[in-house]
Amino acid sequence: MAWYVVRRLALAVPVLFGVSLLVFLWVRALPGGPAQGLLGERADPAAVEAVERQYGLDRPVYEQYGRYVGSLVRLEFGQSITSHQPVLSEIARRFPATAELAAAAMLFAVAAGVPLGVLAAKRRQTWVDQASLVGSLIGISIPIFFLALLLKYVFAVRLGWLPSIGRLDALLSLPHPTNLYTVDALLAGDWEAFADVLRHLLLPAIALGTIPLAIIARITRAAVLDVISEDYVRTARAKGIARRLVDRRHILRNALLPVSTVVGLQTGLLLSGAVLTETVFAWGGIGTWIYDAIRFRDYPVLQGGILFLAVLFLLVNLLVDLSYALIDPRVRYR
Amino acid sequence: MSLPEAEIGAVGTTGGRDPADVAPPTGLWKDALGRLRRDRSAMAGLAVIACFAFLAIAAPLIAPEPPSSRTYLERLEGACCPGPSAGHLFGLDDLGRDALSRVIYGARTSLLIAVVSVAIGLGIGLVLGALAGYVGGAADAVVMRLVDIMLAIPALLFAIGLVAALGPGLVQLMVAVGVVNVPIFARLLRGSMLSVRESDYVSAARSLGLRPARILFVHVLPNALSPVIVAATLAMATAIVEVAGLGFLGLGNPDPSVPEWGSMLANTPRFLASAPHLALFPGIAIVLAVLGFNLIGDGLREALDPKFRR
Repeated sequence: MAWYVVRRLALAVPVLFGVSLLVFLWVRALPGGPAQGLLGERADPAAVEAVERQYGLDRPVYEQYGRYVGSLVRLEFGQSITSHQPVLSEIARRFPATAELAAAAMLFAVAAGVPLGVLAAKRRQTWVDQASLVGSLIGISIPIFFLALLLKYVFAVRLGWLPSIGRLDALLSLPHPTNLYTVDALLAGDWEAFADVLRHLLLPAIALGTIPLAIIARITRAAVLDVISEDYVRTARAKGIARRLVDRRHILRNALLPVSTVVGLQTGLLLSGAVLTETVFAWGGIGTWIYDAIRFRDYPVLQGGILFLAVLFLLVNLLVDLSYALIDPRVRYR
Repeated sequence: MSLPEAEIGAVGTTGGRDPADVAPPTGLWKDALGRLRRDRSAMAGLAVIACFAFLAIAAPLIAPEPPSSRTYLERLEGACCPGPSAGHLFGLDDLGRDALSRVIYGARTSLLIAVVSVAIGLGIGLVLGALAGYVGGAADAVVMRLVDIMLAIPALLFAIGLVAALGPGLVQLMVAVGVVNVPIFARLLRGSMLSVRESDYVSAARSLGLRPARILFVHVLPNALSPVIVAATLAMATAIVEVAGLGFLGLGNPDPSVPEWGSMLANTPRFLASAPHLALFPGIAIVLAVLGFNLIGDGLREALDPKFRR
């Protein structure tokens, strides 16, 4: 297993190298540059030149790339051109926001999707099954930003039950040692803030979690139907094992393997959806950060931020593959 | 006694009669088409898409107003965005344009971008996938690493990046969304080529001394294609969502006379409290179109899957 992990990580190196080259070339292919982003289109040429010199952008491209790779090896991601903050500390500040949102969305998707799928499978070809099928089809087909707008309109604008933007009420103050606001609130022992953080989290998490919810429900249904007709389930029932126990140990445990694959794949996709969700709910996460960086041509942020997301994506995929071994003892990695 | 053909096919035994006059042999495609026709939800999806295609083609005849003609808001007492009324069924947008007309014209743009971008993604993806799956070796390694690299970047950010690099415009949108789809098709076709390549009928063709090109185009590709067709249909749905997402972020088509559903939603967050209808109608159009393609794709998957063949 350890050997397998090492090999997978080694395989990830050329991919990440490729991503870094691709992103490096791409940001330089963008019309305009950071100097124009910073100073505006009609900036004084001398000022533009000064900014370019300051960030080494007047050097030949291959030299810039050499420096960039050199700094990557030292794990330096440079400094944002717009905020003058080190890219790494911006990631440390913003990534927890996205991670918290994605985790809440996935939690919602799994907590609702798996029982829904199981229920649909057990009540196959009844109205429950039909309704969950139709529901999941709509769930897959609705664009995240449209769902986000609908939720915001109904629950924030019309009913006023939940806040419409941000992560925490402006009147509440909270120390942020981890920047995961739920954890921060718990660490501070501030229950009022904790409840407020959850209220802010609810709508974005539902908006982001609906597509994975729908997919998980469908996959769970199919997986349970596959397993339910297996001989060992019939044997277990014939032995007189309690229904609940058969459901949990014989059916659900075996059905979870394909479900865990989907959860992993969807976690990667959540990062994409986060850009749109964060935009609608003014959520200061990594998605909006990179989107803004494209607008301002903030080269270091783009190079560092996208590389970071790629690392994350590859790690998530590795974890998914490793989780097979945990769920299914027949799977062994060498 | 005459049984409907489908019923006889389902029985599986010929009941002692001459098999030749019971179930005429049908090809994969004819068979699949028949099954698709019996699939009610796939037909519903097809109907939805047919409606949108009709709207797209006949937009100038159906739409009550040209997409960029304005009713001046001063005349409407300055209130932003009057809701649905008899004159404007879907209301007016923030620039006083008829929302119904723009949704109808939007079908044009959205469907066009979806079809062209999937064609672009499919074209490049098929070549890369066929190269990797059929040639193998170094070509396979290079193509698959490229695919890994592209898949490691979140799709929407990838598309945003491409639009930013290519500049705003309809063609650029199609290219961006198309390129994002390339790795999906490449990987899919490679996988299905690999499995077909090892099959007995391809070994047979090879042992008969057929030229590799003939084997590829006559024996391998047609058999490796059915998962690709399913994926292409589902990719239409994704393409519509991706284009709409780009439009929503303000990266859509900059030409106001060519409305697009996602771009129509771009300004709506500002008016959400006063004019929710602005978000509602284009949003519903997107959901219906995506749903339509998803239903057809699911139907095709079942129709083309040999497991479901009778």
